[in-house]
Amino acid sequence: MPFTSNASTEAFELRGVSKRYGVIPALDDVTLRFPAGSNTALIGSSGSGKSTLLRVLLGLEWPDSGEIWVDGSVLGPTHVLALRRRVGYVIQEGGLFPHLTALGNLALLPHHLGWSRDRIRQRAEELSGLTHLPPGALERYPAELSGGQRQRVALMRGLMLNPDALLLDEPLGALDPIVRHELQDELKAIFDQLGKTVIVVTHDMAEAAWFADRLVLMRHGKVVQDGRLDDLCQRPADSFVTRFVQAQRTLRGAAS
Amino acid sequence: MKRAWLAITMMLLLMPAWLHASPVRIGSKQFTESVLLGEMARLAARQQGVSVVHQRELGGTAILWSALQHGDIDAYPEYTGTLTHELLKNVPPDADIPILRAALKPLGVGITDSLGFDDTYAVGMREDRAKQLGIRSLSDLAAHPELRLGFSNEFMARSDGWPGLRQRYGLPQTQVRGLDHVLSYRALASGAVDAIDLYSTDAEIPYYHLRTLDDDRHYFPHYDAVYVYRLDLEGSSPAFVNVLKSLAGRISADAMRQMNAMVKLHGEKETVAAADFLGVQPDGDGANMWKRLWLRTVEHLRLVLISLMAAVLIAIPLGVWSARTKRLGHLIMALSGVLQTIPSLAMFVFMIPLFGIGTWPAIAALFLYSLLPIVRNTYAGLTSIPPDLRESAAALGLPRGVRLRRVELPMAMRSILAGIKTAAVINVGTATLGALIGAGGYGQPIVTGIRLDDTGLILEGAIPAACMALVVQGLFEGVERWLTPRGMRLEARQ
Repeated sequence: MPFTSNASTEAFELRGVSKRYGVIPALDDVTLRFPAGSNTALIGSSGSGKSTLLRVLLGLEWPDSGEIWVDGSVLGPTHVLALRRRVGYVIQEGGLFPHLTALGNLALLPHHLGWSRDRIRQRAEELSGLTHLPPGALERYPAELSGGQRQRVALMRGLMLNPDALLLDEPLGALDPIVRHELQDELKAIFDQLGKTVIVVTHDMAEAAWFADRLVLMRHGKVVQDGRLDDLCQRPADSFVTRFVQAQRTLRGAAS
Repeated sequence: MKRAWLAITMMLLLMPAWLHASPVRIGSKQFTESVLLGEMARLAARQQGVSVVHQRELGGTAILWSALQHGDIDAYPEYTGTLTHELLKNVPPDADIPILRAALKPLGVGITDSLGFDDTYAVGMREDRAKQLGIRSLSDLAAHPELRLGFSNEFMARSDGWPGLRQRYGLPQTQVRGLDHVLSYRALASGAVDAIDLYSTDAEIPYYHLRTLDDDRHYFPHYDAVYVYRLDLEGSSPAFVNVLKSLAGRISADAMRQMNAMVKLHGEKETVAAADFLGVQPDGDGANMWKRLWLRTVEHLRLVLISLMAAVLIAIPLGVWSARTKRLGHLIMALSGVLQTIPSLAMFVFMIPLFGIGTWPAIAALFLYSLLPIVRNTYAGLTSIPPDLRESAAALGLPRGVRLRRVELPMAMRSILAGIKTAAVINVGTATLGALIGAGGYGQPIVTGIRLDDTGLILEGAIPAACMALVVQGLFEGVERWLTPRGMRLEARQ
């Protein structure tokens, strides 16, 4: 299901979007564009609004003001279901449903859309290859899978319908360092291989830079700086950017 | 789906109407004399070729009166004093039967003449002691201030009991004690007290050789036994009305006492005692204990299962709805909570105008009691799903209904089943009260057993009810295991 391309080549676009929870602004007049096929990492501390940004893109939250543009038209409640089916969404703990096996989780949406059992299995096995999910894991329940396997299944669930875009919210946040490192490599390879629009939320600078050329640093619901790693390091927009960059401890720094 | 619920609700509402195409129904209250009079009417009618069903041991005056007015029964034995003091508003307390007849007519209710005895409060003494002191009437008590009196607590408290009695007769006794009515006969027999209050047709009067003192100043109201019946019977079954009328004047206080004694003291069946009096053949039910037990089990299961299924069909959607809309949820939860606080007997009585007597009002009451545990557990099960999982389902692009069916309800299943289990177990217990409105079941032997002070009979109902509760509990645990998805029973691996 390719995006019907209009005048705009942006996969997603926020125009002056604000969203508050009570008095706390989660998004404060944010304007951002995400071109089709681009990789972007949203970074910032907890509560900076980066997760909310993903959620408004999917219509899981609605902005108090401003507009979300998807594929050249304004996102409204009527197109939300269709949009979500063209976008894979992966959250920190994977969000797998405990009462279904891995395959059951993968099959949920395709089954609803009328895919045959065979077609679902075939697609699941194809994706098992892509994500290096061990054979037999498809028949297990989430509670029987390791954290890394759960995250792989969650990614597969997001990819089942071969979406145009992937939105990942701290996809590796709950994993131990070794598994995390391994999955960072694999995810990067998958992103490069599939060429989809990818937006990944993380609070880890190194991970962000590994996944994407473009980094968007957010604070208190505002975009502080939007650029490459170099820009953030060499040409910080303000002192917070410097502090954020320097707060990422390196092994060399820790050793000295 | 919606249509199916509607159909079931309609069915439940219409069901009682089908039950109305039945023979003449006579009811009786849950004490022996009333049951005897009910049997007597049934047997006498059978003798005239009128087929009559006797709904025995219904909960009490309020239930019978309401059932009579709504046409769920056609007749029942009543007392004039109850009519003047409790049921009718605008009649003098000493109204006689013609006055009552005129007052009942606008209500569509007819009344026979007195059956021949007056079952009123009386004061009794041991025959030998009364003879020795020369006491025949209540006035004679005034000359014996040393006498010790023992009165039932109700009699002590009622304005038309001891306080009024003392005033009317100027009684000087100071040793007056409150006693339980059942114990008071023994206290009197053993000489612990000299006089007690009693009902003038109590079986114990001849048994303990008691003398009932003459109410020579006419203090106690008359409680003449009569039959009250629906006036429309005169059109639909005039023969039955004639049978009731023919019984008027035929039963003396002595005869009634004898019959009460046969049942309460000698363990005879009411049918036998009544048939004996009428000189007809009793038509015993002939069922042995196992057959009775089986019938009651079927009745009891019917009450529990139908009410539970209806509750499941209504309460789960209500729970889903509550979980979705916060404010509505609070309202639904509060309402079903209020239902739970209505005392069971009151709930059964409320159902009579809507569903008549018998199985359906009991089912309706049990249905209402079952709502809260199921609604609450459905709500709790759904709201305890972690928000990120609920959002994951939404983010997949599944429509709301599919999310509910494929993700949310399966995850809440355990909690919902626990709610249904709670409702089922409570229902098995509460259903025993259904006997008071003619629903049968295990409550029937319990009610009869309490009336006759027969522990064996009480256990005949109580033990199977307890067993059924245990079986239901066990069964649901199995179902829970079977229906809870395996993935939900696993502990997560780290």
